[in-house]
Amino acid sequence: MNHRHLLPEEFDLLLDDEVGFGVAPLREHARECAQCRAQLEDARLVVTALEELPRFAPSFTLANKVMSQVPVFVPWHVAAVETVTRLLPHSRPGRLAVAGLLATAGATLTGGALWLVSRGDLVTLAADVVGNHLRGAVVQAVQGGMVTLFGPAVMDTLQQGGLFGIGAVAAGFLAAATASAFGLRAIASAARRRG
Amino acid sequence: MPPALDLANLPDADVVALAQRGREAAYRELIKRYERPVFSLVFRMVRNRELAEDLTQDTFIKVLQHIDRYRPEFKFSSWLFKIANNVAIDHLRRRQLDTVSMDGSPHAVTGDAVDATSFDVSVHEESALDQLQAKELGAAIETAIGQLRPEYRACILLRHVEDKSYEEIAATLDLPLGTVKTYIHRARHELRGLLEHLKQ
Repeated sequence: MNHRHLLPEEFDLLLDDEVGFGVAPLREHARECAQCRAQLEDARLVVTALEELPRFAPSFTLANKVMSQVPVFVPWHVAAVETVTRLLPHSRPGRLAVAGLLATAGATLTGGALWLVSRGDLVTLAADVVGNHLRGAVVQAVQGGMVTLFGPAVMDTLQQGGLFGIGAVAAGFLAAATASAFGLRAIASAARRRG
Repeated sequence: MPPALDLANLPDADVVALAQRGREAAYRELIKRYERPVFSLVFRMVRNRELAEDLTQDTFIKVLQHIDRYRPEFKFSSWLFKIANNVAIDHLRRRQLDTVSMDGSPHAVTGDAVDATSFDVSVHEESALDQLQAKELGAAIETAIGQLRPEYRACILLRHVEDKSYEEIAATLDLPLGTVKTYIHRARHELRGLLEHLKQ
């Protein structure tokens, strides 16, 4: 028998039921040495009592209390997949019909896009015509508005001033709009501070 | 509505993944799995039932609000117990409640407060004498645990009540492995000393 008694960390190895190299001699010593055996048994009683400690149960409302304060966040891609899944028919023939419709729509759009690309000059001409019409309508509407608001004399002045005149008027308008926005913001902040 | 799943048979990592995808049932499954172990740990740390309920609630709220931060290469239970331990230790440090009497907290002033902070351990045994002895040991060990330093208490509870390995405890409590072994060794030694009177 080994005359050295077990060291504290060696007791821990036995309490933890370690099976590594060097543990067997310790176990053998504990069997043969009454003092070490008694100490080991005392320690094992404590460990057993710890392992038999009951688990306590919280109140049954804990889960609801927790969930009332935890927002359940659904990532956007998960929500998108679930929305699409919800809209799809459940039956196999239904899903096949939807797939067919989507394929047809996709093919039509692709064909249309390819046709447009092959007719580039026609597209440019159409865009020019539409653009000219729109530009004319906008200019007419603005002129009509200016005449209504400020009279025909202002329009004549603007037309004489040319681009410089129009630029000056636009800059004046922007300055007035910006000043109004800052003024309104200042008024709102002052009202909030008072409140 | 997503189809119902049998969450009870899924491993923790899968349930957490479902929770990260916004499944409320997965959140509730995690609470159901760990409310008793977490509450037990926190209760034994702070020794007050009402307080333990609040701290357990705080623990789950913190974990579930940040469920997107969980990394699957670590065990979910280790992360959860780490937060539970931190919540309990923070409270103990603020209140400086390291020890407690088996007969209730010294701060308890009403009968209800004494009941809430005292321990009652029931153990099912065959004979009345065995039951008495087991109850005495159970009560004694609960008292003894309450007299350990919080760091020792957390380690010994995670090791022997939650059956965590030394490595898991080190990861949970952010301690070196050697420190965990030292704490557990010292806790066992102190508990043996505190329970010496039972031998006599």
